[in-house]
Amino acid sequence: MAGNHPTRPVPDLSRRRFLGRGAAGAAAVVLGPSLLAACGGDDDSASSGGGGGENSGGKNLRISNWPFYIADGFVASFQKASGLKVSYKEDFNDNEEWFAKVKDSLKAGQDIGTDLVVPSEFMAARLIRLGWLDKLDDSKLPNKANLRSDLLDSTADAKREHSLPYMSGMVGLAYNRKATGRDITSIDDLWDPKFKGRVTLFSDQQDGLGMIMQSLGDDPANPTEEAVQKAADKVAEEKDKGQIRRFTGNDYADDLASGNTAIAQAYSGDVVQLAADNPDLNFIVPESGGTTFVDVMVIPTTTRNKAGAEEWMNYVYDRANYAKLIVAVQYVPVLTDMTDELTKLDPDVAKNPLVNPPAATLDKLAIWPSLSDEDEAKYTTIYADVTGE
Amino acid sequence: MAGTARSGRRSRAFTPYLLVLPAVAYLAVFFVVPMWSLLRTSLSENTGSVFLPTLEFNWNFTNYTDAFSDFHDQIVRSFVYGGLATLICLVLAYPLAYVIAFKSGRYKNFLLGLVIVPFFVTFLVRTLAWKTILADDGWLVDVLGKVGMLPSEGRLLSTSWAVVGGLVYNFLPFMVLPLYVSLEKLDPRLIEAARDLYSGSWRAFRKVILPLSMPGVLAGSLLVFIPAAGDFINAQYLGGTQNTMIGNVIEKQFLVVKDYPAAAALSFVLMALILAAVLAYTWALGTEDLV
Repeated sequence: MAGNHPTRPVPDLSRRRFLGRGAAGAAAVVLGPSLLAACGGDDDSASSGGGGGENSGGKNLRISNWPFYIADGFVASFQKASGLKVSYKEDFNDNEEWFAKVKDSLKAGQDIGTDLVVPSEFMAARLIRLGWLDKLDDSKLPNKANLRSDLLDSTADAKREHSLPYMSGMVGLAYNRKATGRDITSIDDLWDPKFKGRVTLFSDQQDGLGMIMQSLGDDPANPTEEAVQKAADKVAEEKDKGQIRRFTGNDYADDLASGNTAIAQAYSGDVVQLAADNPDLNFIVPESGGTTFVDVMVIPTTTRNKAGAEEWMNYVYDRANYAKLIVAVQYVPVLTDMTDELTKLDPDVAKNPLVNPPAATLDKLAIWPSLSDEDEAKYTTIYADVTGE
Repeated sequence: MAGTARSGRRSRAFTPYLLVLPAVAYLAVFFVVPMWSLLRTSLSENTGSVFLPTLEFNWNFTNYTDAFSDFHDQIVRSFVYGGLATLICLVLAYPLAYVIAFKSGRYKNFLLGLVIVPFFVTFLVRTLAWKTILADDGWLVDVLGKVGMLPSEGRLLSTSWAVVGGLVYNFLPFMVLPLYVSLEKLDPRLIEAARDLYSGSWRAFRKVILPLSMPGVLAGSLLVFIPAAGDFINAQYLGGTQNTMIGNVIEKQFLVVKDYPAAAALSFVLMALILAAVLAYTWALGTEDLV
């Protein structure tokens, strides 16, 4: 064929051919990994969070918790008090991701590399329904009496037979006073055209839609599909107007601190820490109300040291110990009035309404109930249709 | 003796096939099998509970029709962004590759090194760094605002411009390097010959340099367009609520909504459309003897 084209520079043909193959090969290489990544999603590593496999009960305790959710020296003092050797890992980053990773092991009754985990309450409820959590032995947990009564009666876990709250936090609005030029008090401020394109919402369905439902007169504590849909429609309407800049996870904080956004849906503890560096940042619970989240300590049925895990829970629920945690992570205590213990450690924290909220604030907060799998999936899909397009 | 000689020859004849076996096995395990499983997933239906899905294969083609009808905006957007990024990369990279290949003298390797330097920083960090550069209070927005060149949103971050810009930035070296390779191999005597035959610079470029660099243009375009159209990092961090690409949708379907069949179908739609675009492009460039 080449001979039929005298105008084509012959010496280059071989290289052209070579390069062409190279390109096709490169295309295959590029296509390959993205496909692999795509299908790795559902069934990858049922492997445990690593290590720990050789530990078998007795003196060893393995704990998985969220990052930055502990006080310096806390684990060491527990080890000293209990005589247990603790392997403490900050490898819990995302409820759903974690669930995807461990579900096959838990179903098969295989060790997941940890004796105690701290998922959010909705995830704990799911685990309870699946029968994957050990029942707690109250006789080993005398300090359980310190738990706030509103958290003891939970739709996720009546009387707290399978889970104990670790921290609570408020989902509200954070704003940059310099960017807004005024104080923010309500959801109406969020939709103020003055802040067009400078507002971020959570992409998580419960955290994102809860306060919107409240502003529309619905209660996240008794959600219906209509109410969720109504709130999602409101968000979609504002999105189409260009009001909403981004749907975020925990990364809302960067945009807020750098002044890219004026108002953001936010978690109280984050804002306390951010405001230490940037005094312009404020956190409020909107007038129409906000929601609250609870992370709970649970023991999977595959635990190798249930007694040790319960000892840890009881240690955490000791008021003096718990105060150290609160001062470090600055979320809302799950134990009854902690003012005295906090004042002893750090009077500023005790006085901070975001850490130690007054009753009036707590009254404005609603908690999502435990939802059935079907409802949870339905609501998630409704909101994903808005945030994903 | 004759027998051993024959078997020796035979074993030598088998050697190349034995050597290729590891690669074939690797591709079979990590490419063919996952592809097959992805294809099956895309035609399945979830019959189990919501959170412990049991996928049942039943030729469920509605996953595909739903993928088109529900996410047609993102599909179009991905191709527009990917195409724009490829075009801008080509326009930026061609002169650069040309200068490095012909005009850089002893700085050639140094300049090539500079093109690759950004790769030493991870993709994610490079993208996040753009957030700082494009920030609303940043100098770039300030300068563009003063000369009246800001997009209608009055900002850069969280706009389609930022997404395309991020794609161009992240994939530019993939365009420069193949272009450089094909230009560098070009025999300068061919250009001299064109001059001798009274062709001007433009004509010499159009008739000699450009046709001979076409393999580089093709390879570079594929290396930029394919990953750019499927990218989700740039849209996630630099884009806003109106700039999501198909990659973001697939991520959300897999990880949040957990509709694996829908996500798998979307992956195949993306792959098929990219393949079609690539074939059309190859055909249009008249490089049928390349592939």
